[in-house]
Amino acid sequence: MGQFVQFAINGLMSGAIYALIAVGIVSVYKATKVVNFAHGYLIMFGAYFYFTFAVVIPGFEGAPAWLASWQPAWMVEMRAGLSMFSPLGAVLDWVANLPRIVFGLLGAVVCNALLGLLIERSLMRPLMGQSVFAMIMVTVGLISILSGAASLIWTADAAFVPHIAPNTPLRFELFGTMIFLFGADIVNMVIALLIFGGIVAMVKFTKGGVAIRATAEDQSTAYSMGISVPKVFSRAWILASATGAVAGAILATRNGISPSLGLFGFSVLAIVLMGGLDSYVGVLIAAMSVGILEAMTQWKMGGEWAEIVPYVAVLVVIIFRPHGLFGQKEVERI
Amino acid sequence: MINGNLKASYGADERVLNNRNKQMFVYGCLLLLALFPLFADDYAILMACKMGILLIAVVGVNVLTGYTGLVSLGHGAFVAIGAYATVVLSNLFTALPEGVLPFVVVPCAVAISALVGIVVGLPSLRVKGLYLAVATLAASFIVNFLIEQELFAPWTGGVVGINTPVPNLLGWELDTKREMYGLITVLAVLTLLGTQNLFRTRVGRAFIAIRDRDYSAEILGISLLRYKLMSFAISAAFCGLSGALFAYFYARILPEQFELDLSLELVAALIVGGMGRTMGPVFGVFIVLIVPELIKISMGFATGGDLEMQRYTAPVQEIVFGLILVFFLLKEPLGINQITDRILRSANRWPFARG
Repeated sequence: MGQFVQFAINGLMSGAIYALIAVGIVSVYKATKVVNFAHGYLIMFGAYFYFTFAVVIPGFEGAPAWLASWQPAWMVEMRAGLSMFSPLGAVLDWVANLPRIVFGLLGAVVCNALLGLLIERSLMRPLMGQSVFAMIMVTVGLISILSGAASLIWTADAAFVPHIAPNTPLRFELFGTMIFLFGADIVNMVIALLIFGGIVAMVKFTKGGVAIRATAEDQSTAYSMGISVPKVFSRAWILASATGAVAGAILATRNGISPSLGLFGFSVLAIVLMGGLDSYVGVLIAAMSVGILEAMTQWKMGGEWAEIVPYVAVLVVIIFRPHGLFGQKEVERI
Repeated sequence: MINGNLKASYGADERVLNNRNKQMFVYGCLLLLALFPLFADDYAILMACKMGILLIAVVGVNVLTGYTGLVSLGHGAFVAIGAYATVVLSNLFTALPEGVLPFVVVPCAVAISALVGIVVGLPSLRVKGLYLAVATLAASFIVNFLIEQELFAPWTGGVVGINTPVPNLLGWELDTKREMYGLITVLAVLTLLGTQNLFRTRVGRAFIAIRDRDYSAEILGISLLRYKLMSFAISAAFCGLSGALFAYFYARILPEQFELDLSLELVAALIVGGMGRTMGPVFGVFIVLIVPELIKISMGFATGGDLEMQRYTAPVQEIVFGLILVFFLLKEPLGINQITDRILRSANRWPFARG
């Protein structure tokens, strides 16, 4: 039982990150009716931007020393009396890294948002009003462009990136078994869920969110009601790539940076379809259940089999519920 | 009257090559293909074989995406199934004489591929458009994953790949690339001719009706179940044939050769060439394979063989591949076939202005 809880918690933590990535795909779909096949590669760019701003730039000669490692006098004092592997030590390590973590996250979010805007302006806008097939295929072409560009720009091996939160190990007893968690994972989960909730609230309550929903409902009516549809499009892309940057940074701290991050986007795409393309609730539920299913598969069948769990799950769901668990059924007229 | 297009009989109008310019173009191409091995060097033969193998697979995708309107991003998996089935069956049927082995193995591989195609096509009855694209993508990931599994490694070789047999057609061993060129070219031309004629039959017209509006097609009495699955089967069978040739052509196959990149290459070639047109895949495959080669060669020239710069070649190739796809979608969505159509039309009406 204890092991079950351990794996369930692990699953929930990766499910939250799936949800954070999925929110980008759903937002773009809601606003523009385009499913972004290249979202995983946007995330990869986010991860690489985080690496650049948190590791590469602080490592330059001209960069101020506090950026790479912040060592105020009080911290050196506190550290002196600590034993190895104490929880406080991990927190202090994190505080020393704090400037570059913040710098890295800000840089990643800004750069990725600009990238999203660039993609929207140069590739999506010219296709406005054309067939959805063409738009989707453009995002497929974007996969090659982004993955080629990433390996062109970041040739160096990506080294260690700093964790976003203090990585203290936590142990506690539940149902008679030790549960073992990392502090950073919990904070990542909280960040992911907060951003997810924030975006859902934004779409629900703010003026910009209403514009997105109106555009999703009917583009030309939204236009005639004075909503600037092109602006909604670019906002959705910026939103998607900015959340993607945070997700990329989190993934980079968890699994390291590699070109295979892009493939991660496809499993999230499967999750999004499973939940229903236009339903935030459905996507959250799908992300969490796939996260847990993956963890269970990892537990029972080994780590390798976990990677196809989202794909099997989406195929099963699609056959029984073609529009996902909570997706809106499209009404077609002849 | 349209100049150069006069048809005196119904038969003349029904022909595949229904005017002189088309005839000249196609017969010229066939002649060129036949004479090609006489003057080409090994490198050109290698490229031509690669094109032929890819062409057969793209024709398969064309049947599904171009003619039936079902988008698939996972056709690389069918090529993989064809290739692995060929190798595995060749290793199993060792009792058969070598000369007849390919005649048993290749049809079996094609049939297995078609069967898997039907299974993968099942979601197409419930979903279409991008849902289907993701469903096929998911299926292809699963197939690739299974091939790489340690569990099946005794048969498939797992991640490290497996050596492939040399085809032996009734005692004629095709152990050089030049001999393989003959086989690949004949099969590629037959495939093209087969699809061209498929769309002059009842089945092909049903496919086109489904593409144009599936509900209307159903109302007209076309069974969606039957024809969508048939389209999947035919398309997967072509991909399986392409996979079989792939296995015979290379000395060793690896699972990573059939991953997402191949599926994207197939779709990109189709879009660049022109969807739903017989010659579309031909032009598309040509562009998709020749441009990266040109980049490799010109990068080699520009850097003077500098190894430090050579590693930039693959990313540049990847970027240009994506740019070509995007360029065609933005500027010429109907593909190169549209351009050649325009040229042919003006050639037909020459010396009058093209209408």
